[in-house]
Amino acid sequence: MAEKHTHIIELKGIIKEYHPQKSFFSKGENKIVALNNINLGIKKGEIFGLVGQSGSGKTTMGRLLVKLEEPTKGTILLNKRPVTHLAGKALNNYRSRVQMIFQDPYQSLNPHLSISETILEPLKVHKIGTIVQRREKVIHTLETVGLLPGKDYYNRYPHQLSGGQRQRVAIARAIVLEPEFVVADEPTSMLDATIAIQLFKLLTRIRKEFNMTFLFITHNLAAAKYLCDRIAVIHEGNIVEVDSTNEIIGNPQHPYTKKLIQVQPGFHFNHLS
Amino acid sequence: MAILSVDNLSIGYQTKKGMLKAVNDISFSIEQGRSLGFVGESGCGKTTIGMTLMGLLPDNASILSGNINFMEKDLCDFSEDQWRNIRGKDVAMIFQAAMNALNPVFRVGEQIAEAIVTHNPAFSKNEVNDRLKKLYNMVEIPEHRISDFPHEYSGGMKQRAIIAMALACSPKLIIADEPTTALDVIVQDQILKEIKKIQQALNMSLIFISHDIAVVAEVCEDICVMYAGQIIEKGSKREVFTSPKHPYTKTLLSSYLSLDSDENILIPDMMETPDLIDANPGCQFSCNCNCRSTECSKNAPGWIDISKTHKAFCCEQGLSRTNNG
Repeated sequence: MAEKHTHIIELKGIIKEYHPQKSFFSKGENKIVALNNINLGIKKGEIFGLVGQSGSGKTTMGRLLVKLEEPTKGTILLNKRPVTHLAGKALNNYRSRVQMIFQDPYQSLNPHLSISETILEPLKVHKIGTIVQRREKVIHTLETVGLLPGKDYYNRYPHQLSGGQRQRVAIARAIVLEPEFVVADEPTSMLDATIAIQLFKLLTRIRKEFNMTFLFITHNLAAAKYLCDRIAVIHEGNIVEVDSTNEIIGNPQHPYTKKLIQVQPGFHFNHLS
Repeated sequence: MAILSVDNLSIGYQTKKGMLKAVNDISFSIEQGRSLGFVGESGCGKTTIGMTLMGLLPDNASILSGNINFMEKDLCDFSEDQWRNIRGKDVAMIFQAAMNALNPVFRVGEQIAEAIVTHNPAFSKNEVNDRLKKLYNMVEIPEHRISDFPHEYSGGMKQRAIIAMALACSPKLIIADEPTTALDVIVQDQILKEIKKIQQALNMSLIFISHDIAVVAEVCEDICVMYAGQIIEKGSKREVFTSPKHPYTKTLLSSYLSLDSDENILIPDMMETPDLIDANPGCQFSCNCNCRSTECSKNAPGWIDISKTHKAFCCEQGLSRTNNG
């Protein structure tokens, strides 16, 4: 591939196996292969969609990329540098460059921390700026994610916000360090359609403003079509198809992709009585 | 003759800040064998309606006004004993979270049998077993799984088991409250087809509650769109989805992503949620409506007939303005 040098993240031969613990009922002999030989490159500045059904390994891949878990085999490259078994300072540095937005905004925010404390934490951990600068940065980030005016939200707590606002706070926390790469794991599956579409718009705006790269994990092919430049379809730990969004939707090759497209609910008024 | 008719029903929750009107003056009816869908975003009162029809409202909720007429009985003044008689037998519910709706320490078959035995105490063990097998065949779970525990079932199978439980006594009315929300698209497709097939085969009435308009479009014949505790548009599926009239319905439909929708998706600017405790006297949607006038937040809207079955809860100006725009 000609554009290979622009890959920000590359996965090479990634295998992730889980070994169930021995217990009274099972001997723990059967390993579970969550990801089976994944080779994938994500280009700088694109929104890359990872689509699959529950249990297909899509969340595992997201967790590997933000280093919440280590692969059993294979290497992950960030800007062509291997980052597979980082520890200590190097891992700390990696975390300032790769961030994650979690699925459920009702669980991913700590109810004891105010909005400002939640967003300040990454800045404190990475020792960025003075107290005054941090405060300004937090207010600025809140306004970037559409919580206007930022000062009004500064001292609030998660329970005072709606689901959509919480997810905006979660996005603010992820982008406050201005990471290069953000993994968004089904960020809108808990939200209503009218709220979800506003968040998609926000993500595209952030991508433009900060030139961030996104991995968008979803089971909703229509959302991936709206948001992503390229899509990978994952099925039982294998990537079955990778292509541009238009090709995947308009000209699917793999039978599994075809099936996914076929089962998307929609209004088909042609064959209604 | 409608099997269920609800007239001017209002339900409130007593909260620390005052009475929260979760359902505000709604009326609808459903005929034998028809399917009616409720769509709306979270907090609009869909589930409260479902729980009312099952007699499962929490203690701090009360029916403020209106009546519910089900098979010529008024459900509003039912005692708990009377509810126990019809719950499961005449009205049954398919609950949202199949993962949590089954008791993990009992075998699935036993849990389904419980409903059968409660309402048919005279049944012998064999009759109950026959009925169980029939139900399992209906929802397409292999018979040998009857004596398995819930943790041995997959998500889709648990949802099927919940459907079997709801069907146990062949109820006249089934209420399905977001039955596929926790499932992925492939299983969702199977379950929706299953529900539709069984509903038509047994000629039951179905009330289907969901926040996903496409899911409702797939299952239901008639649609009620809800916003802030009120029904704001109702009609047949075709009427509501092909020629929506209320500004909120239009917003909801235009923000829905589908595979054939092109770039013409409108991003709604809906930041405010209406206060249901201290509601304004006018239209609840007026704070987010893009074709409101100054009158909208003062004067309550009224029902406007668009066709015999299609109605919108708006003002004349609102409808005409959206038509032009």
